[in-house]
Amino acid sequence: MTAVTAHPARRGRMFGGALPYILLSPLVVFIGALSFVPTVDTTVEAFFRVSPLNPPTQFTGLGNFRALFASPAVTTAWVNTAVYVVIGVVLSVVLGTVIALALRQRFRFRGIVLALVILPWALPAVVEAVVWSWIYDPTFGVMNSALHSAHLIGGYHVWLGLDRWLTIGLIEVVQVWQITPLSAIVILAALQSVPLDLYEAARVDGAGPVQAFWRISLPMIRPALAVCTVEALILSLNIFDQVYILNGIAPLGSSVMLQTYLTTFQNLNFGGGYALSLLMTVATAVLSMAALALLYRQPGAE
Amino acid sequence: MKYPSIVSKRAAAIALSAGLVLLGAACGSSGSGGGTAAGSGSSNSITVAVAYPSPPAALLDQFTKQTGIKVTWVNIGWDNLQTKIAAAAAANTYFADASDVDWSKVGEYQKTGWFYPLNQYFSESGLTSDMPQLKTFESNGQLIGVPFDSSFLVTTVNQKDFAKAGITTMPTTLAGFTAALKKVGKANGMASPLDIQFATAEGLSTCWYQMTAAFGGQVLTAQDTPAFTSPSSPGYQALSWMINAYKSGLVPAANVNTTDYQGFTTEMAKNRVAAAMCDYSGSVASIYDVPASSSVVNDVEYIPTPGATGAGENVANPDGIGIPKTARNVAGAVKFIQWFTQTENQALWAGLKGSGDVVSTFPMPARLTSFDLMVKADDVEQAAPLSAILKAHAQAPFPNGAPPWYVQFSAAVQTNIHQAAAGQETVAQAVSAIAAQVSSLKAAG
Repeated sequence: MTAVTAHPARRGRMFGGALPYILLSPLVVFIGALSFVPTVDTTVEAFFRVSPLNPPTQFTGLGNFRALFASPAVTTAWVNTAVYVVIGVVLSVVLGTVIALALRQRFRFRGIVLALVILPWALPAVVEAVVWSWIYDPTFGVMNSALHSAHLIGGYHVWLGLDRWLTIGLIEVVQVWQITPLSAIVILAALQSVPLDLYEAARVDGAGPVQAFWRISLPMIRPALAVCTVEALILSLNIFDQVYILNGIAPLGSSVMLQTYLTTFQNLNFGGGYALSLLMTVATAVLSMAALALLYRQPGAE
Repeated sequence: MKYPSIVSKRAAAIALSAGLVLLGAACGSSGSGGGTAAGSGSSNSITVAVAYPSPPAALLDQFTKQTGIKVTWVNIGWDNLQTKIAAAAAANTYFADASDVDWSKVGEYQKTGWFYPLNQYFSESGLTSDMPQLKTFESNGQLIGVPFDSSFLVTTVNQKDFAKAGITTMPTTLAGFTAALKKVGKANGMASPLDIQFATAEGLSTCWYQMTAAFGGQVLTAQDTPAFTSPSSPGYQALSWMINAYKSGLVPAANVNTTDYQGFTTEMAKNRVAAAMCDYSGSVASIYDVPASSSVVNDVEYIPTPGATGAGENVANPDGIGIPKTARNVAGAVKFIQWFTQTENQALWAGLKGSGDVVSTFPMPARLTSFDLMVKADDVEQAAPLSAILKAHAQAPFPNGAPPWYVQFSAAVQTNIHQAAAGQETVAQAVSAIAAQVSSLKAAG
């Protein structure tokens, strides 16, 4: 006991109390170089005209933001992204909860099912989008083939690129397919940490499975649901790969991240790109904090 | 008692080392001195970053033996490469000594100054007669790149499918071609026998330029103003013809979502269509005549592009190679470009001495003298008709080269034509929207 308490004091003397700072320095440098500096740089340059096609760099105040709000393509992208977020968050959290409830039960091959559930999360988004582009392919895609075989459609359909909401819905299916596994695993972990005596006591008091879910499981897994919601929110707000691969740069299903890429690297309007990135960062932070404030309460806090 | 202090020293040393390494990495990544490509940076090595596979290692070794310069070849997808060029140039960071200069980027690179003008290294007057597409790489008197292929848009047909419909002489007008395609479709049980890309991709933009050329015009004037707003203009007529071809079912409905060239050529390779407009020179040898990926081997041929009143022009969209301003070994890059674009090597990449030297997906050489070698050897599929088209019909998409704002212009073109095909706009609305974008881009400078 004496030795344990003596070590910090000895170390503190040796480095003059600087040891914690020395140990933290790699992380500080890492975060500073790769996150803080670019964030500050982006924030500052969002108020400048930065375009290699139109030099020199000049202060424009809110000029970049005004141009973005006046752009129909950017407006469409914001609306589309809002739809991606609503579908993505609701479906991934609901489906994640359903899958977690199913996986909490003991059944044969549960381990294999668990591995299969995780698989979409483990694959890169680009790979998944390419796979789904084959599924949606109007000529030889599985979707047309399956629906036609089941007599649900009369002829083969072009699924993407013709109807805005159908295109957005089908793109979001791909993303939900990818992000739901993480939600399921997080919620499963939370469900498994709920003491079994609570369910036993509820059962003795006459509560059925539905009541037990609403009265015990749901309140107990709220922190996990908050984490899943924020995770789905961030991924949906930042949707890019699936949109770009399945729908190209068509405004029909365009997202804000895609518009940021096009503004910056296609149009070489770096100032506009910085401004759009800044708006996206603010939107992500505000929505994430709102979701956490709404959902994140430790069990028994209310 | 000593154990904890040893741990502390080690921990401190590791922490300090890691901090210094990270700090070094962070500092090294900014400025032109921070390299990213392995094997580059010394006077006897260069990095070449293009959207093409490497020539065979034995040939690259020959170059190293001749010059003492070792080549690191980086093959990056075209879109990704454009982003890397822009990002590296904007950050003033080295990424390659020689890189892709697409015909569509010439105006942009000249205005931004991201590439060295090559006039002092390559004699334009000496090269133009051998490289008909060299002018495409000149902007404001500066030669930004040297063409290393002679890609141009062509019309391909499956002659077997046409023969089945009793058509053995190919129509030279668009009206005749449209009527013939309807017959071919019926005879071969194809609902939609014509392949044209309608997805929002560069291929859709270039196809409109090609169809405008077929109607006898160009989409921009020499002053870079719209030449397509009048309904009687070639550009307007071309767009009407394209949208009508899609809406009447001549073109597969699925093409509105075929975003890549591979998907486009698969239709022809699998005999789901009988003709393709805005196909690429070189597609017969590199795709349709490759048994592993095609069921139409020896059936597809290039034909003179049908036009409004007779055979039309073919729009050239060659790839070029240039030297970024952040290159470390400019002299080495110049030597490499000279070697890569010399007459015999160009013919080798296209198969002059068999498949062993071929650069996969390479369309056709940039030099007429390379074509001459191939025609003389009579060993490269359809070299003679392509050579004839290159000499007489290959035309630059714009009279004044690609404008600096080409990429935004192209985005507006492909987006609006796509929307017109998808029924979200009329042809007139698409034309107005594209014209408005040109005005706005010109006004922005």
